[in-house]
Amino acid sequence: MKTEEAASVLATRRQGLHAGRIEPDVMFAAALAILGIAAMTQGGWIFAKAQLAQILLDRAFNESLATGRPVKPWSWADTWPVARIEVPRLGARVIVLAGASGQALAFGPGHVESTPAPGDPGTAVYSAHRDTHFRFLKDVRVGDRIDIIQFDGRKSQFTVMSTEVVQWNTSGIDAASPGHRLVLATCWPFDARTAGPDRFLVHAELVQLAVPDAAFAVVREPS
Amino acid sequence: MSTLIVSIPPPRLTRSRTEPAPFPMPHAALTAIVHFCLVIVVAIAALSGGNATAQSSQTEVQSAQPKLVTPADMKSGALLMKSNEEGRFIEAPRLGADYDVTVSGPTLRGRVTQMFHNPTEGWVEAIYVYPLSEGAAVDSMKMVIGSRVIVAEIKERQEAKRIFEAANAAGQKAALMEQERPNIFTNTVANIGPGETVVIELEYQEPVRQSADTFSLRIPLVVGPRYNPPPLVQVVDLSPGGEGWGRFVDDPVPDRSRIEPSVLDPALHAPTNPVTISVRLAAGFPLGIVKSHQHAVSETQDTETTRTLKLSSGAVPADRDFELTWTAAAAATPSVGLFRERVGDSDYILAFVTPPALKETQPAALPREVIFVIDNSGSMGGTSIREAKASLIDALGRLKAEDRFNVIRFDNTFDVLYPDTMAATPANLVDAKRFVDRLQASGGTEMLPAMQAALADPRSGQDNRTLRQVVFLTDGAIGNENQLIEAVAGMRGRSRIFMVGIGSAPNSFLMTRVAETGRGSFTHIASPEQVDERMRALFEKLEQPAVTGVSAKVMGHAADVTPEALPDLYRGEPMVLTARLTRGEAPLSGSIDVAGTIGEQPWLASLPLSGAVEGKGLSKLWARRKIADAEVARTLRQITMQEADQRILALALEHHLVSRLTSLVAVDKTPSRPQGVRLTRADIPLNLPAGWDFEKVFGGPLPRDGQPGNLQLPGQLPHRLPPGQRAAAPPHLKQTRVAGNFQQVASASAPRPINTQQPHVTLPKTATDAELRLILGMILLLASALAMAMRFRRVRS
Repeated sequence: MKTEEAASVLATRRQGLHAGRIEPDVMFAAALAILGIAAMTQGGWIFAKAQLAQILLDRAFNESLATGRPVKPWSWADTWPVARIEVPRLGARVIVLAGASGQALAFGPGHVESTPAPGDPGTAVYSAHRDTHFRFLKDVRVGDRIDIIQFDGRKSQFTVMSTEVVQWNTSGIDAASPGHRLVLATCWPFDARTAGPDRFLVHAELVQLAVPDAAFAVVREPS
Repeated sequence: MSTLIVSIPPPRLTRSRTEPAPFPMPHAALTAIVHFCLVIVVAIAALSGGNATAQSSQTEVQSAQPKLVTPADMKSGALLMKSNEEGRFIEAPRLGADYDVTVSGPTLRGRVTQMFHNPTEGWVEAIYVYPLSEGAAVDSMKMVIGSRVIVAEIKERQEAKRIFEAANAAGQKAALMEQERPNIFTNTVANIGPGETVVIELEYQEPVRQSADTFSLRIPLVVGPRYNPPPLVQVVDLSPGGEGWGRFVDDPVPDRSRIEPSVLDPALHAPTNPVTISVRLAAGFPLGIVKSHQHAVSETQDTETTRTLKLSSGAVPADRDFELTWTAAAAATPSVGLFRERVGDSDYILAFVTPPALKETQPAALPREVIFVIDNSGSMGGTSIREAKASLIDALGRLKAEDRFNVIRFDNTFDVLYPDTMAATPANLVDAKRFVDRLQASGGTEMLPAMQAALADPRSGQDNRTLRQVVFLTDGAIGNENQLIEAVAGMRGRSRIFMVGIGSAPNSFLMTRVAETGRGSFTHIASPEQVDERMRALFEKLEQPAVTGVSAKVMGHAADVTPEALPDLYRGEPMVLTARLTRGEAPLSGSIDVAGTIGEQPWLASLPLSGAVEGKGLSKLWARRKIADAEVARTLRQITMQEADQRILALALEHHLVSRLTSLVAVDKTPSRPQGVRLTRADIPLNLPAGWDFEKVFGGPLPRDGQPGNLQLPGQLPHRLPPGQRAAAPPHLKQTRVAGNFQQVASASAPRPINTQQPHVTLPKTATDAELRLILGMILLLASALAMAMRFRRVRS
């Protein structure tokens, strides 16, 4: 573009501005751009929130470990960190919140109410978003070790027994079933962009359980 | 009513656990740009109706086959036959159920007899799910399956399961009864033969409820969404010449706000479960009005104190709960009830004390100081906050000139309207109403500071005349129960705390304990629409305190009393307590001394234990309450899970109760019957309900091994079945429809897996729309750039 031409374009635009009206197509393009930036910001914010919250959660959780009491990550939070999940083979490490409401899940995995704590009799269920905190579930293999530390210092070690895809309302998970089990749940398929009825479950069984200030006790060897 | 799930355990044709293939993850954004238009369509679909399509695909029914259902679809009782599609069932004919309730004074004993029929030619395993009311202590189950009688024993849950599985694998008939929730139970029955009829009889013990002068019982018949009747509306009849004494009469139109539930057309829908109900009412005092609220009943008066009630139309569909209320004949409402039961070497006591009522015309004797605490956090948004504000403004309007009040609002911050409570002058009330009216729902939930502010009492210890009431309204779960309860226990002083929970607060059990610690009550409001109505009822109650500072002591014997702290009593409410006394062989002497303050007068009542009347099942009521106490102590971490489990297990085993840790299990062993010998009437340890013909139920040809025998066609069984329902489920039709969908099992002796259809954990939505938004944003930016480029070109040309 030649300089004079560019100058004339700018002049035209300036005139337009001085006249107090913006040409409709510019307005349209600007509106599109603003909407686009807004949408991208919102999308990015979801990921950013998921990441940033984990930092605050980690801090609150460490305080919990030290004091043995629940600590809210920020003063207006409706939930608090209850446990840390670690999958050593994948280097995954994430803080779990109490309750699996939509609000809590934006910040971290949620411990589904009405299920016991991991290590207690029954089946504990942790649930999280497939595109943020539980993205690593797609790489989990049978035999992987899952370490759980709860805020009161209880440590438990689980081994992945199987994975499964179920519908959200017929999960087949019985919270009161005998045994000491853990289920990590997320949406399925992993690469879908819309919400669907399918859920991906990782079933794990307790191998070791330790209470604070006690040596690890072997509950059972994985078969 | 109940749900019976029958599964024919076939060689399982189930979807195996899926190992997901590793998914290649193409970069979403790049894909999106290529499939520009396609993605927009997907995005719109996802934003508008993604969930709807997911839902509809789940309820889709194959038209060529009988309608497949899931247990969750059942609104009332059903016999479900397992189809070869995992998780789906075929509804089979149900034959009938009978509820026989005997009320003896303060307790009731319920006996539920249900008859089911296996119309298939295979051997089936049945799972039977049913509701009972929350206070029910289930202690007995008997089962007659075909020609076998089974009496269940209480065992530790795991052990019971093991015994059951072993019997099941060995082809023996076995039954297992487990508690799913405190008010939901399941029975699993193994090895029901082809064409056999199952009769289940279970018994439970329950306290009679009392509110004001009305006694009531409820039989839950509906599983799932509960039909919510409006509260009992009563008006006071103060007839002239009664010298200020009056009585309650029932609202002339108690049904005014109720919409009759629609009745299913039996020709179009599976037959609903016919139920018969009879109640023998021995109230222990002359009866006044006896009223069934949902069903028409016929009544026979045996004596002044006893009645027998039956459903006047015979069998009815189990589509709503049965609710019965009764009152004493005018002015004869007993004010004291004392009952005892001796089990082993312990005595169990149940005591009711209704304090002398204040006359209606007399104003409440004590001035009040009311602190309203309202949660205006974000989750209260919408109907909840509107209704809460309306009810609060209404409550402010009801305050009397001599009352004092204050208002506190909280989210993650809190504001106190006045530094100290203020007199309820018109000017102050206008102020307060404006403050309430301006409240907006936003922010988080931080209850503790608000509670502490409400409990801060500058006149603590100086003013014992005024009744200090804290009304605490929230919809949040309590995250720090311990702190809250500690705060209440430490700071309560003379304050009474009334918790109001809106919505499905998961900690309602604990809120109850906060309220009990604060010697108040907990009101749970399930839906925002009920806020105004329930709050009004609460505020009315709070204006009528009858007795304050209630305490009870057992004199003369060592006693384990529950509850430990007694709340204030409001108009017409009885104080209820249960206790276990250890006295060995010594005669029952001593008394229960109840003390309190009515108005400004001390009130003392001494109930001589020697005057206690023999009651039934009191030990079970005491044990049930102690089990609940242990659960709470565990949740509050006052005791460890192991300690709580030990206590619960000991209580449940000692008192033969089904609990979280104990189950009833029965394996075919009583009576062991030689092959080919029929049951006789005398062998049946249970009383068949009136109208059930023994010969019809247990008669007929004998089953030969593996052959359909003892076949009781549903049409022949209960004579009382309405013809329409009988026609709706002709047995041969059911049988042929069912046959195509079933796996036949050749023999009963093959080991089979147990497929207990436990309630599923519902998994939350775990996908974000972050990527969609990113894609959408990118598309819009691209379009914007395109538009600009086009314009630029136009300007240049």
